[in-house]
Amino acid sequence: MADTSDLIVRFERMRTNLNRTPHLRRLGALFSETVLIQIDDEEFYLFFDKGQLARIEPGPSRKTPWRFALRTDADALARFWEPMPAPGFHDIFGLIKIGRGRIDGDILCLVKNLRFFKEFMDFGRGELTV
Amino acid sequence: MNAVFEPITGRYVTLDISGVTQRIYFEEAGQGTPVVCFHTAGSDNRQWRFILNDDELTRTHRFIAPDMPWHGKSLPPAGWQTQQYDLTTKTYMDTVLAFCDALELDRPIFAGCSMGGRIALQLALHHPDRFAGFIAIEASDFQPAWYDIDWFHRPDAPGGEMGAALISANIAPQSPEVERWNTQWLFMQSGPGVVRGDLSFYTRDDSLVGQLHRIDTAKAPVHIMVGEYDLTCTPEDARRTAEAIPGATLDVMPGIGHFPMSENPERFHPHFVSALTRMAEPGSGQ
Repeated sequence: MADTSDLIVRFERMRTNLNRTPHLRRLGALFSETVLIQIDDEEFYLFFDKGQLARIEPGPSRKTPWRFALRTDADALARFWEPMPAPGFHDIFGLIKIGRGRIDGDILCLVKNLRFFKEFMDFGRGELTV
Repeated sequence: MNAVFEPITGRYVTLDISGVTQRIYFEEAGQGTPVVCFHTAGSDNRQWRFILNDDELTRTHRFIAPDMPWHGKSLPPAGWQTQQYDLTTKTYMDTVLAFCDALELDRPIFAGCSMGGRIALQLALHHPDRFAGFIAIEASDFQPAWYDIDWFHRPDAPGGEMGAALISANIAPQSPEVERWNTQWLFMQSGPGVVRGDLSFYTRDDSLVGQLHRIDTAKAPVHIMVGEYDLTCTPEDARRTAEAIPGATLDVMPGIGHFPMSENPERFHPHFVSALTRMAEPGSGQ
């Protein structure tokens, strides 16, 4: 089971890192979409606006439209965010290949913005210091 | 001024391949046992530059790395603008054999990665007498696509950048930052539809399935290498393949992905040295 408060802290850190990364602001300039991250039964809606993470809202919500979703489990995501992840856990498509993740929705939107989104997700790597 | 020249030289050769005139660019370095080095899908011979620049290996080996037609500085054939590029096993084998004939290479060692590893196994099956041995990197008998290969060529998405972001899943986290991004840069430069056409060969041609036991490693050794972080040709895929070829050997490389010679040349080096020593005598891999 995911720890909601820890995940919010981690997403906030990812937002801060995104704000500090000019090349991602450039790469994400056309990315204004809502992304659903589902970890076990926990849902988080990430609202991106022109490559900035405008806000993070915990779910569940049946009224929030999203463009694409990344669904995984807490253990897989923890292993994905290890500083040196093991094979299969080192990439979001690795999670899918080993059966620990799923992507739903507009996959074309994801792959068109894949470098941006993957580098954003990589910001979650490492120890969490509150 | 601190200018460092590399020993690599590049040339062009125009030749007929399956009745089609092709202008092939190739680079080479070193003297000794010839080794032809073939790149992965969607890339070019620059993946092999660290081996061609290796002072130690080039004392005893002549490494020759071509760009496949449609790749790098080899042009696509005349009329490409109305064709859909779909690489086939026959055209691929004809390309390798015609290139070796043009350069008058006598039983070179064949080294190829990914789709180059697949064709290594096809050549080991169909033309073992033409080569001194096969180094098949990230190679298996068949890999069906676990993604839609048409993503790599569509008018509403940037094929090169998207393709690079997709294949970055196959680069190990241990790989140095500079070469991780250089490996992706080569992908970003591939022409429209080229990755898709390469993957058409790699993910749809299953003609090796059920044939691996017919490969005769007494005629030419087969050594399979695979990176532990390769999601496309996993260590399990390579192991399955090696176990089906009597006498084939397998090397699972820790901390390496799908592009060993390009993404982490330092870590790849000792594995490639070991592979070359296995090519010394036919059947020596047994």
